[in-house]
Amino acid sequence: MDFHVGPEHFREPGAPLGGAQCTVAVGGHSVRFSGLSPELHEAVLSRYALFLSEIPPLHTVTLCAGAPAYLAPAPDGYLRLEETQRGEGRILLSTGMAGFWPSGGRDGLLRLSQPGNARFALMFLENYLRWVIADLALERGGFVLHCAGLVRGGKAYLFFGPSGAGKTTVAGLSGDHILLSDDLVLLTRGADGWRASTTPFWGALAQELKDLGTYPLAGLYRLIQAPQHALRPVSGALAVGMVAACCPFVSDPAQRHDKLLPLVEECSRSVGVQELRFKKDPGFWDLIA
Amino acid sequence: MYEDGRYKRNPDVSWRVIEGQAVLVHNREGEIEVLNEVGTYLWEHADEPLEQLVGNISRDYGVAPEEARRDALEFYESMVASGALVAAET
Repeated sequence: MDFHVGPEHFREPGAPLGGAQCTVAVGGHSVRFSGLSPELHEAVLSRYALFLSEIPPLHTVTLCAGAPAYLAPAPDGYLRLEETQRGEGRILLSTGMAGFWPSGGRDGLLRLSQPGNARFALMFLENYLRWVIADLALERGGFVLHCAGLVRGGKAYLFFGPSGAGKTTVAGLSGDHILLSDDLVLLTRGADGWRASTTPFWGALAQELKDLGTYPLAGLYRLIQAPQHALRPVSGALAVGMVAACCPFVSDPAQRHDKLLPLVEECSRSVGVQELRFKKDPGFWDLIA
Repeated sequence: MYEDGRYKRNPDVSWRVIEGQAVLVHNREGEIEVLNEVGTYLWEHADEPLEQLVGNISRDYGVAPEEARRDALEFYESMVASGALVAAET
């Protein structure tokens, strides 16, 4: 049985879990976690070691204890995440968390079902972070892409596609390249063009393999596993559709995609989108760079 | 069966025309549809009378009106099935 909540659930959340805080920055988008217990603070410092920052936060979230459970687990084992938009703000619910981001506000609240279980709490804290970073990026003319990001010759190459397309495989075949992520990369628009930044979000590869950085974007490649390596340009609406389909949001109010589509179009035109058919050897790089 | 005036574009579908082709994003499901040129024309003019659109397609693309009508109906029914078109409020 789901325990659905409204904004009233966040009006008197009780005391924060503790007095510790730290700030995590993703491509210049900084989020401060406050009210951390000593155990959770230590877990956050370890998990986000590469991404800790002292820059003033764009968003601050305070952590408090929540209900014993929120959404019931999904029968297929996938993590459930649901967002609802209310007049007072947006609510993100999952099995072990309820997050609230007031409309127009910079401060959010995250209530956790098992705040004493640092591993469990960290998983939901990360889902809250994904939610906030995706929206902060969109507000500033950027977006998050579900892809493997690799750097060669000082430029970022992004390999995208749905789960199972081969993002982690491509990252694994590119051991001599700098890894931004094998799951999610942040794209932002700079004065000199689009740029790709490392994100801290969970992928199949270890966090330690990532390199923290922001690089000029060289190309977008839609992955298709095939017997031979081949590259085919994709343009126009199909290119935009391919990329937009891999931009994750928890749930997508129309205004987000109304903002997203023009950005994806601009980015796709800027660097080009290509369909990369690849087999499991690093020879595909010969076609790219 | 699709009928004039019974449906409208779903406000929960974001869309954008790029080089003559519409990209539709079903906001809740995150699903994407890319329409061809004729589909884009029908999508953009979904609130106009079917016979008028059929006449324009028949003229502009050199196809028989019956064929244009069949294709247009098939397109709109697929849009209703996907949820891109929803019942208009009465």
